[in-house]
Amino acid sequence: MLLVIGIVLKILIVVAISQGTVAYLILVERKVAAYAQDRIGPNRAGSEFGIPFALLQPLADGAKMLLKEDVVPKYVTKPLYILAPWIAITAAMIGFAVVPFGPVGPDQIINFQIAPNVNIGILYVFAVGSLAVYGVILAGWASNNKYAFIGALRSSAQLISYEMPLGMSILGMVLIAGSLDLSTIVDWQDRHVWGVFVQPLGFILFFVSAFAETNRLPFDLPESEQELVGGFHTEYSAMKFGMFFLGEYLHVITVSYLTVILFFGGWDLPYFLDAEQTGLISAIVKVGVLLIKVGLVILFIMWIRWTLPRFRYDQLMDLAWKSMIPLALVNLVATAAIVQLIRTYWV
Amino acid sequence: MFTGSMLFTTFVILLGAGGVYLLLPHRHGQAKTQTVYIAGAVLAGLGLVGFLSFLSAPADLDLSQLDKLLSAVFFYSFSASALGCGVMTVTSRNPIYSALWFAGVVLSTAGLFLLAGAQFLAAGTVIVYAGAIIVTFLFVIMLAQMEGKAVYDRSARTPGAAVLTCFLLLGALVVCLVDTRFAPVGANTPGQPRNPQTFLPRGRELAEVHQLHPTNLQRIALAHALRSTSSIYTESKQEKPDVAGLGESLYADHLLTVELAGSLLFAALIAAVAITNPKRPVRPGDPEPIGTSV
Repeated sequence: MLLVIGIVLKILIVVAISQGTVAYLILVERKVAAYAQDRIGPNRAGSEFGIPFALLQPLADGAKMLLKEDVVPKYVTKPLYILAPWIAITAAMIGFAVVPFGPVGPDQIINFQIAPNVNIGILYVFAVGSLAVYGVILAGWASNNKYAFIGALRSSAQLISYEMPLGMSILGMVLIAGSLDLSTIVDWQDRHVWGVFVQPLGFILFFVSAFAETNRLPFDLPESEQELVGGFHTEYSAMKFGMFFLGEYLHVITVSYLTVILFFGGWDLPYFLDAEQTGLISAIVKVGVLLIKVGLVILFIMWIRWTLPRFRYDQLMDLAWKSMIPLALVNLVATAAIVQLIRTYWV
Repeated sequence: MFTGSMLFTTFVILLGAGGVYLLLPHRHGQAKTQTVYIAGAVLAGLGLVGFLSFLSAPADLDLSQLDKLLSAVFFYSFSASALGCGVMTVTSRNPIYSALWFAGVVLSTAGLFLLAGAQFLAAGTVIVYAGAIIVTFLFVIMLAQMEGKAVYDRSARTPGAAVLTCFLLLGALVVCLVDTRFAPVGANTPGQPRNPQTFLPRGRELAEVHQLHPTNLQRIALAHALRSTSSIYTESKQEKPDVAGLGESLYADHLLTVELAGSLLFAALIAAVAITNPKRPVRPGDPEPIGTSV
């Protein structure tokens, strides 16, 4: 009984925090965009109440989303039109079930993970992530609009193509750590070195495909404003559009967590933190370290947005099929060979 | 065995078959009246309720324990949604909806796999079917119907024969299930001590027995035929974790099958490359091909 209450509590906390974080990430993104373009950005919502840095801007944004007129065009396929944003947000949300937010283990006081002991962790994240394409493709088709449809087709082709290098790039790390469980992978990095040093190529491939999977620039072709007037969500307004937006940012958070957990040691800080510290204070410190790392990755993703131009569509496809998949295969075979050699001759 | 229950089974199956036949799309793609659909739904629902009466709660079902109650609730809801989505898949007149209901079937099945402790299978099913295959279906269907819906997409091909075959198969399955319900249970249940009468030996255990075989020649032949490969159980008779156990049994016990499947897929890949039109696409910035300029 207590266990179930604990799990429900954890789910509520994680959902609430991630939704709140998304609201503030939008503020951060607008600020980063402003700095990149040498302007000021949002700076006054809340100043009447003495709150600095426009910290009430997310509330204003949210209120705008909720209060705008919710237009449902006449010629859409209504059930699917309404279902699509829900799929987008659900698929983005349920991936968090296996992501460790801090130290996880039998001797910890609190397990910072909603579903511990899932020994296929990373596969689950990919399985759920592969459902996100439904939101995009249904939104585009149900809108009954050529721009939206082309956006959806582009997007689904892109998502399917980049899922392959994404999946293959992490296999090296999985082989080295010997587990698909995310917390075991963090433990391995704690005992040895961070993943980015043993799998540099894998990290680059993972990060690039993660950009494509989250539809962030330079891979935001599905919604390229100039040609497609917004792509698959052209016909969506008010909160329905907001849900797509929310889903996209949730994907960014998940991807940042995965990057940190797979390649940057998770909660590990060399020489300061290791797996033996199980007290409450060290657990909180570890959660803090993990959150700071995730925040840095998110900032980096936003920074990239204002640095690189958008790809042409055939360049995008060429990059996935002709460069990244072969490189990921080479990386996988080489890692497997080296791991096998080390297991045979040195251990 | 029990003629009464057999008769009841047949009746329930016939009800279900009739209902599904009425619900299936028209043979020539015409619309059916609403009365027919309602009658079909009622018949199919009655059939489903009849099947529910076969179910009995598992022996260890103790509703006072919350986790057991939860898993029972999840089991029944996943099963019901799998069945319901299955019926909707075959009876939808719009192929897009069919594909989406099929995705529902796959997701519910993955949930059932998860409840059975087969985590890898659950994730694999979702990735392969829901994530890749059905999305490709949707892609093709959406592209194929740019100018309105075609008749062949709305019509069912020989609905009567299809329903008959499927429900004959279902009847055979139910008869087998009713038979096995009275058979001795507990062959190789993981975690339980093995019952020597119903114990199915694995290759390695056979080899161990025959290591003691008197004739040397036979022993060598058996040792070669039954190489001690792997086992899903570790030395201490514990189950190995899903992925490790699956990998070992795939690449040790079933190596030949895996290699065969791999060769077949490779041949298919080569064929696909060979029959694809190798014409180079024209891209912006390329010199214009000769003969196309007006």
